[in-house]
Amino acid sequence: MRAPLARAALALYPPSWRARYGDEVLALLDDSGGGPAAGASLAWHALPAWIRPPLHDRSDRMRASLATALMSWSMLTGLGLVFAQLTQLQGVNAPGHPELRWAYAVFDVTLAISALVAGLGGLPLWLLMLRRARREQRTRDAVYLLLPVIAPVAYLAALIVTIRLVGSANGVSQGWFGVVTLAGFAAAAAAAAGPGLALRRLQPRGPALRPAAVMAMAAVAIVVAVTSLNLWARNFAGYHDGTVSGIYLALVVTAATVTTVSAARGTRAALAQP
Amino acid sequence: MSWYTPTGESNVTDRLDRWADPPLLVLASLADEPKHGYAITQDVAETMGVRLSAGTLYAVIARLEARGLIEPLESDDRRRPYRITMAGAEALARQSERMSKVASVARERLGTRLGWAGA
Repeated sequence: MRAPLARAALALYPPSWRARYGDEVLALLDDSGGGPAAGASLAWHALPAWIRPPLHDRSDRMRASLATALMSWSMLTGLGLVFAQLTQLQGVNAPGHPELRWAYAVFDVTLAISALVAGLGGLPLWLLMLRRARREQRTRDAVYLLLPVIAPVAYLAALIVTIRLVGSANGVSQGWFGVVTLAGFAAAAAAAAGPGLALRRLQPRGPALRPAAVMAMAAVAIVVAVTSLNLWARNFAGYHDGTVSGIYLALVVTAATVTTVSAARGTRAALAQP
Repeated sequence: MSWYTPTGESNVTDRLDRWADPPLLVLASLADEPKHGYAITQDVAETMGVRLSAGTLYAVIARLEARGLIEPLESDDRRRPYRITMAGAEALARQSERMSKVASVARERLGTRLGWAGA
């Protein structure tokens, strides 16, 4: 096999890009011989391909971006809720930092607005897909679409039962807190994956996709602003130091980056000229 | 110390070389007939003296295709040919006209100043 470096560099491209141009690039490398320069050139252009993927199929791009943004937005929101649980609900108020109280209030309000915007933006598309799933008797797709309702309700019910069984006057132990938190992320992932799978299977097109993609960007902007506040709060809320908080913040930054890039790609596809 | 150095001159020349904009080169290459990727790189290298790497070429092809300036043709082979669209031809004509005007002015003024008759 010729030009192994260039072939390896091709792996850096988004799957949709590789599906569209991969074979052609390999044919070009076979004809031209490739080499380190071709590999470096391909690697150099891989990042822009992720940030600005080609818009051959705008609906497909919006669907893919929406599914990814929804998943990472759910993770980011979940991380924000963990932060709220560990600070506000446990009454952490570092002495000498009066701004902490209003920072918490801003945090809560923006998180709620972000969820509202995401819900409002996605609702028309969700209803459209649900109607189609019912009309065509696609039970599995209907279940996928209902996961954003089923998963949180099931989680909250399980949470209430768990706290009653293992909780004390001081709440639950650290171990149980970890279990409850992980279960919460699993529920959030299931809730986000449902519509993502339905998007892939039902492949909706048309005007409902655009507001969903644009509102997703708005929801992301808000939740990323919340995240910034979260990161800023780390500087003065004493107990945020340590390995665990480092891992937590790395997760926050990763989720925020993925969410922003995905939402921006979907919005670009939504606003592009047909 | 003089600000002028051969390196500085080279940088300026490199910037001026942006006239050789890859999208324009690809459009110009496709202006006469459809070509696949390798044929485009060969044509651009032979007729315009610019070597397009695989990464640059396909970044450009993706962009031009997304903007409707070129379109792929059906092919059983991995080497899919592309052809310029009407919008692409119009864009190329506009840009060529603009470049032609600049070249004309440059030639005329150089002729006045240096007695250069051009190629």
